[in-house]
Amino acid sequence: MANLDTALKDAMSIDGAIGVALVDYTSGMTLGVAGGTPEIDLTVAAAGNTDVVRAKMRTIEMLKLNDDIEDMLITLGGQYHIIRPLTGPTGKGLFLYLMLSKARSNLALARHQLRTIEEQLEL
Amino acid sequence: MLPRRTAVPPAGPPPPRLPPSLAGNPSLPYPAIGTELTELRLQIPGVQGSVLGGVDGLRIAHDLPAPLNPDDLAAMAATAFGLGRQVSHRLGQGAFRQSTVRNDGGYFAVYAVGAHALLSVVGTDTINVARLHLHAPPVADRLATLLAPAVGTR
Repeated sequence: MANLDTALKDAMSIDGAIGVALVDYTSGMTLGVAGGTPEIDLTVAAAGNTDVVRAKMRTIEMLKLNDDIEDMLITLGGQYHIIRPLTGPTGKGLFLYLMLSKARSNLALARHQLRTIEEQLEL
Repeated sequence: MLPRRTAVPPAGPPPPRLPPSLAGNPSLPYPAIGTELTELRLQIPGVQGSVLGGVDGLRIAHDLPAPLNPDDLAAMAATAFGLGRQVSHRLGQGAFRQSTVRNDGGYFAVYAVGAHALLSVVGTDTINVARLHLHAPPVADRLATLLAPAVGTR
């Protein structure tokens, strides 16, 4: 089991990681961030992607799929953004947000590593 | 007999008169202020409405739906400001910037608009409050610019 700081550090050790945040999607506020660049404000990214997560959850509900989001992949020209809602009992209402450089990362491996980090995260 | 307070004639000159309130000032750019308030509601889902009030608690302009009373909210914003100012005075943290009240059913957030006015926003419980905190300060800055000529001439 890993605490928040360890989990964020582990996520930053994924190949190509630019930044990572743990976000509360009920408020859009971050519980923790790591990485990022002077140009990329992870708190802005967290607030904006909260709306993405909420929209997808609402859509699943409207379609009566009776399912949950495992993860979401957003592909940009130069980056991958992976969103992974927490599944543990202490992680309700939270998601991990990982920004990866497309050129420096292995998407399948990064996705697998983020799942492992999420499973081991205990708040 | 218990000790009683007795009136003491004030020493020194009388306190300076307060400047006139921003509320009701006919020289303010009301259409531009109204646009800013409406835009805030339209851009952030969950914003029910907003009020621009003076630090004296009097309403300058508002964009609130019917059951909410803008005069009450402008007064409560000034109360929140008063508490924030006293806290900051004690802690030496500088000018009041922002205060948020979260209740079971929603939010009430107050942002400083320059030194003389306050922007209060009423939000639903589901509002993305981080987004509001990112979006509202620039709106408050623009409102402060709109109020600047009236503040400057007082």
